Amino acid sequence: MQINFGGREIALKLVYYGPALSGKTTNLRSLHQLTTEGARGRLMTLETKDDRTLFFDMLPLALRAEGARGAPSTGMTLRIKIFTVPGQILHASTRRLVLQGADGVAFIADSQISETEHNAASFFDLRQNLKEMSLNIKALPLVIQFNKRDLERVRPDQELAVLASRGREPVFKASAVNGQGVLETFFGLLHQTWAKLDGEHQIAKMIGVPSDQLLPMAARQLGIKTDVQTLLASCVGGALVRAPQVTP
Amino acid sequence: MTAQAPDVSVDDLLLDGRISLEDMVDRDALDELCRSFASLFGISVRIYSKEGALVADTAGEQELCVYVNTTTDGRRACSSTVAAVRSRDAGPSGDVMHPCFTGAAYRIIALEYDGRVVGRLIVGPFLPANVTDAPATLLDIPGIATERAATLLAKMPRAKLETVTRIAAHLKASLDLILFSGHKAFVTSKMHLMSVRESYRQLEEKTARLQEAFDRLKELDRLKSNFLATVSHELRTPLTSIIGYSEMLGEGFAGQLTAEQLDFVKTIHGKGDQLLSLIMSLLDLSKLESGTMRMTMGTMRLEPVLAEVVSTLAPTARKKRVKLALAPSGLLAELRGDPERLRQVFLNLVENAIKFTPADGTVTLSAAMIDDDGTSPDDGSEGDDDSGLALLAPVRTLVEVRVADTGIGIAARERPRVFDPFYQVDSSSTREYGGTGLGLSIVKRLVEGHGGSIRIEDNRPTGTVFAVRLPQAPP
Repeated sequence: MQINFGGREIALKLVYYGPALSGKTTNLRSLHQLTTEGARGRLMTLETKDDRTLFFDMLPLALRAEGARGAPSTGMTLRIKIFTVPGQILHASTRRLVLQGADGVAFIADSQISETEHNAASFFDLRQNLKEMSLNIKALPLVIQFNKRDLERVRPDQELAVLASRGREPVFKASAVNGQGVLETFFGLLHQTWAKLDGEHQIAKMIGVPSDQLLPMAARQLGIKTDVQTLLASCVGGALVRAPQVTP
Repeated sequence: MTAQAPDVSVDDLLLDGRISLEDMVDRDALDELCRSFASLFGISVRIYSKEGALVADTAGEQELCVYVNTTTDGRRACSSTVAAVRSRDAGPSGDVMHPCFTGAAYRIIALEYDGRVVGRLIVGPFLPANVTDAPATLLDIPGIATERAATLLAKMPRAKLETVTRIAAHLKASLDLILFSGHKAFVTSKMHLMSVRESYRQLEEKTARLQEAFDRLKELDRLKSNFLATVSHELRTPLTSIIGYSEMLGEGFAGQLTAEQLDFVKTIHGKGDQLLSLIMSLLDLSKLESGTMRMTMGTMRLEPVLAEVVSTLAPTARKKRVKLALAPSGLLAELRGDPERLRQVFLNLVENAIKFTPADGTVTLSAAMIDDDGTSPDDGSEGDDDSGLALLAPVRTLVEVRVADTGIGIAARERPRVFDPFYQVDSSSTREYGGTGLGLSIVKRLVEGHGGSIRIEDNRPTGTVFAVRLPQAPP
């Protein structure tokens, strides 16, 4: 998180991590399509000829603080930059560069049975990279998405439910290519990240938006019709943080 | 962050809020863009950066403006209007109209990128569609003729408000695209650099670790050589006694032995000798490896050394029914070398050749003078590459000694390894042919100690040639 009082801005960095070809860029493209212009900027993709991510993709969002119940706005802007890392093994150093300074991570896993091992390898890679940056994965807001639910030969819902109930992180099911589960995952991640940062830095007070109003505000400005609670409720297993734990 | 963290982060690289028109856009290209808009719609376009610097200008002046500037008061009024337009902010809506005293107007439109203002676009002067007559503000200026002013005002490009809005929107969109492309190219190239730097950093770390491991291994290797030298030396002393006493026993100094006892004692003596020669080889090797082998170098001739080797090994060859021959060469060249060590070299090579040659085979020893062709004799595959020889090395004369056999031969892929200590092409051959696997490694080191080289070639149709090249003594 970066705070720029002069520019009246707070910037968050969210990173979509995961194995090669799990659909990180597709998530971002869908998110771009599912939101309206205005709060959402241009999607920047730095890719190779064969459509694989070379360095990263980045989708910027800019949310203008709305005052609580008619109160005047503080004029603060919450900028959210969503990055994807390149999944291919060989881009290890780029992955580390992009991950640096992330406030929250969405791990995009491939649901196909054949990809199970790659998911695990990429997760270990994430953990290792965080470790090298002296960060603990437990302290990082993290959600998991099982993407490609539309394909055949994927791990069944029942299995995912069992797996998800064992884990700590909220799990979302998605078919990013059809735009399903994309907003759910993003709002799940935003919820987790916001809760942690607000608990630690009281950023709700800083930008003048009540803690429980940020997500509805984001949905409104991004032109999302679905109710935020409905989006969050699609989470299977794991646990969403209930409310920001404000530390005195 | 940790000490390993790179100096620039990806977030810095995105230049959040620090993107400026001047940095991202080529000035000439921007000028061209503005000119094409101006020629398309007949209205001047200017672009100012956030800091107020003029970035692009179509530099066209309306006839009315030229006329107004011919009068003192007109000039004053014009420059104050222009100054006001230049410094006027686009306001909260990002789009304002600024009137000119001539009845014309300017539009000032904010240029934004990524939700932040990066500059201003000024369109005008143009004549709003609702202005028909020259206003008093123009006509009241001393020196302005009403009729002429009206004529020139009519020549001013006339535009509807929505037309100007459309032009501005179009220009804004084009600029946004240009900025985005510039920004993307900037990020890509910077990111590329950062990735390379990060990979380099990792590589450097790994290299340092490898170097450390290598140094440690080298030290261990040195310790091993020392140990080997010490142990060999300590083994030799009692062994000499064993050999001496068994010899004395065999010669009956301690009383007559039975035939069986004599047989046993001779075996002890023979095995003792074998062990001694192994220990001597180990000692030689460790001395050669540590560079402490002392060689008595002098001017010498090779022919007598070779003749001695042949006569020494003739009985062995005869026993195996292998023909051993020294080809006459009439070689008179002199070398600088240690005759004792060179004798050891050729004794070893010829002994090996006899060992691996079946009965009725031939082992031939020959010597010849050759010119050094500058190629590396260690690697036979490059022997025929003679490109650039003129540049590579002065011609030296070498003496080449070839030990050719008609034995089992050595496969090409084994050749580089046969000179490694303790290496045997086929470990079962130790049982069949005997030997310690030390001989060739000692030979190679001795030859190199003489500034020479050794390589293995095929002997057609079967067998091996060991070719030893030694530099001739300087005249």
